[in-house]
Amino acid sequence: MHWIALRWLPPEVQAAADASPGSATPGVEALGTEALGWWALQFTPHVAWLDEALLLEVSACERLWGGRLALMRELERLNPVAQRLQRAQGASSLVALARLRLFARGVRPPVELPGGLPLDTLSAARPHLAVLERLGCRSWGDVASLPRGGVVRRFGGELRDALDVAWGRAPDQHVWLTLPEVFDLKFELPALAENAAALMWSANRLLAALQVWLRARQRGALAIELQWTLDLRRFNGVDLPPREQIIVRTAAPTQDMAHLRRLLHERLALTRLGAPASWLRLRSVETAPWAGASTSFLPEDNRKGDRLHELVERLGARLGAQQVVVPVPQADHRPEHMQSWLPAHQAALAGPARAVLRRRGKAAAAVAAAPPSAAAAPAAPPNTAAPGASPLYPPWLLREPLALDVREGHPHYQGKLSRLVGPQRLETGWWADGQPAVRDYFIAESPGAGLVWIFRERPSGWLASEAPRWFLQGLYG
Amino acid sequence: MGLPFLDSSSFSAAGQPVWRGDELGAADAQVMATGHAALDAQLPGGGWPVGALIELLQAEPLAQAWQLLLPALARAVQAQGGPVALVGAPYEPFMPALAAAGLGPEALLWIRSEAPAARLWACEQALRCADVPAVLAWLPRARVGELRRLQLAAAQHDTLLFVFRPEAMALSASPARVRLRVALEAGEGGAAQLALHILKRRGPPLAAPVTLPARSERMAALLAAGQLRRRLGPHARHCVSSLPPEGGAFRLGSGPAAEPPAGGVGVAEPVATVVRIASPPVFSVVESGHALDRIALVAA
Repeated sequence: MHWIALRWLPPEVQAAADASPGSATPGVEALGTEALGWWALQFTPHVAWLDEALLLEVSACERLWGGRLALMRELERLNPVAQRLQRAQGASSLVALARLRLFARGVRPPVELPGGLPLDTLSAARPHLAVLERLGCRSWGDVASLPRGGVVRRFGGELRDALDVAWGRAPDQHVWLTLPEVFDLKFELPALAENAAALMWSANRLLAALQVWLRARQRGALAIELQWTLDLRRFNGVDLPPREQIIVRTAAPTQDMAHLRRLLHERLALTRLGAPASWLRLRSVETAPWAGASTSFLPEDNRKGDRLHELVERLGARLGAQQVVVPVPQADHRPEHMQSWLPAHQAALAGPARAVLRRRGKAAAAVAAAPPSAAAAPAAPPNTAAPGASPLYPPWLLREPLALDVREGHPHYQGKLSRLVGPQRLETGWWADGQPAVRDYFIAESPGAGLVWIFRERPSGWLASEAPRWFLQGLYG
Repeated sequence: MGLPFLDSSSFSAAGQPVWRGDELGAADAQVMATGHAALDAQLPGGGWPVGALIELLQAEPLAQAWQLLLPALARAVQAQGGPVALVGAPYEPFMPALAAAGLGPEALLWIRSEAPAARLWACEQALRCADVPAVLAWLPRARVGELRRLQLAAAQHDTLLFVFRPEAMALSASPARVRLRVALEAGEGGAAQLALHILKRRGPPLAAPVTLPARSERMAALLAAGQLRRRLGPHARHCVSSLPPEGGAFRLGSGPAAEPPAGGVGVAEPVATVVRIASPPVFSVVESGHALDRIALVAA
């Protein structure tokens, strides 16, 4: 058996030791003891917290890491927090821990192990230190040489058992840390959070822990829930729920906390707390296996910048999902029903695969930075010719047709309109709500606005006495 | 990455370390052909500069966009994939018209926002996205510092960036690489033209504006047909065949057998005339075209 004891230097000691602030990595407080344990699980499955130190049993796995020395170096290199890591080794967990305590004090370990170790480095002996000292016992070996029965009667079984473990006469038993199936961590805020920005500061710590969990589980987050417990039951005479929460979703599994943090930040900026919050809890709602990122040597695949779904989610989080839209063609002949707009994050779920296929298909067409001579040739015929697409339609549409002034029988829009082409007759819409559309479309020219697309509401037979009403529905530009 | 507009290597395209102010500068980065030969000839490098701010100044609704930009946008989307981002468009884009020019429904992302600050923020985010090949932004109230920031974002991520601003901004300073004033005016023969006054480019100032047709080829052919029909009036009876000036094939005469006139009017009355218009590339798929495009009956 071979044990490694790890301890992270407390921040005040760290600050005294080296004055080099400005590191971006979080401190131990920012990560939490659970997450540090999960981090250590990548080296060995046998990890346990004992008093103030994290203990790793590595006899079975040190060859995997290339020997003890290489493993110690790897521990130092992968240190997840900014604070310095103190390490000590020993044949049993208690010896490793005692050596770590001596190292922290700056005392050289004794030659004889474990007999020469001072008694105050043994946790089980600490309540009895004064009595043992008066008995003349200074080291572990002094106590171990006392008669077994007398020690058990005088000090209880724990001290004797601990010494047996240290000498390897009894099994070294611990409750090993395990990685939970679902990430669910809560902690009490250092002070009551009055607004959502204060929550964000604390949520960073939970996000850092989530990242460690995701890496250990080799999964990517798809949806996370941030929940906070309200400190008040009633506020301004209104009963409050015990807790409030927000759920943040992303389209592609991610281990990158920067994107989730930005989404949380935008969502929290729009959230008003019902009352000051005291506890914060982060839960993984949905995760997916993490495939890693594949890289490419081709320069056109290595464009720097965000992915499209990240852009859509970020815009939607701040502006509202209804403000970031993509068109969806509809089979209808009334212009205002030919397309509908869908929030982009809904369409984005099917989007990436489609986009990749399209990009591969057009790799040959990538020579688009054509020489100027090629520009004289007409544009390539569109291969995505949707049914109903026509260059004669106006590129701008007015979803609510604009009623036009009619003077002396002629419609006016920034001047008198002269009809150029038409009519295009359009009728029906009885299957939909509202008035059936009975219209004659014209392309007309306005002195002020150029070409416009207008229609006349065709009067029904018995209403023919009414003057026809004219509407503007599209603009060419 | 250095600031592209301070990059001295941009002037050394032909091995000359000096760029003379009276000749057109060379492009220091990628350009995207505009699809209009007359405009390409006047822009440094022969196209829209990729990764630089392009400013389009025009009168108020700021709606003169598609006829000018569609060829370049369609080409950018074809090359790179991903959607073109529209930030704060004045009206709703109509997809059937844009799809006909090669900008399909999946190639558009419309960001609706009214507040100027939100538009600027959305514009910058869109520029930072690797999957967006081009950004069209309507920023009537942007200040110079904000435009400079957008210019830097576009340069870092190699995105086409078009900013629409009102005409009154023509007198104020701008960090844009290319500035155009776009105006719709009547050309010779009554056909409307897009007049592009190049206010800023790397090259000598241009005295006369670059003129482009304001309508697509098929629209021009359709309008010509309508004009011809009105001129001939109700007395047109015999088959007349002519070619419109813009090259689209154009026929005036009895409809071919593939498409009998609607309602049997053309068959019953010998005085009915069928006007049929189609440009050659779409002649075979004319059934899927616009109803205006297909057939029109003129009763004598």
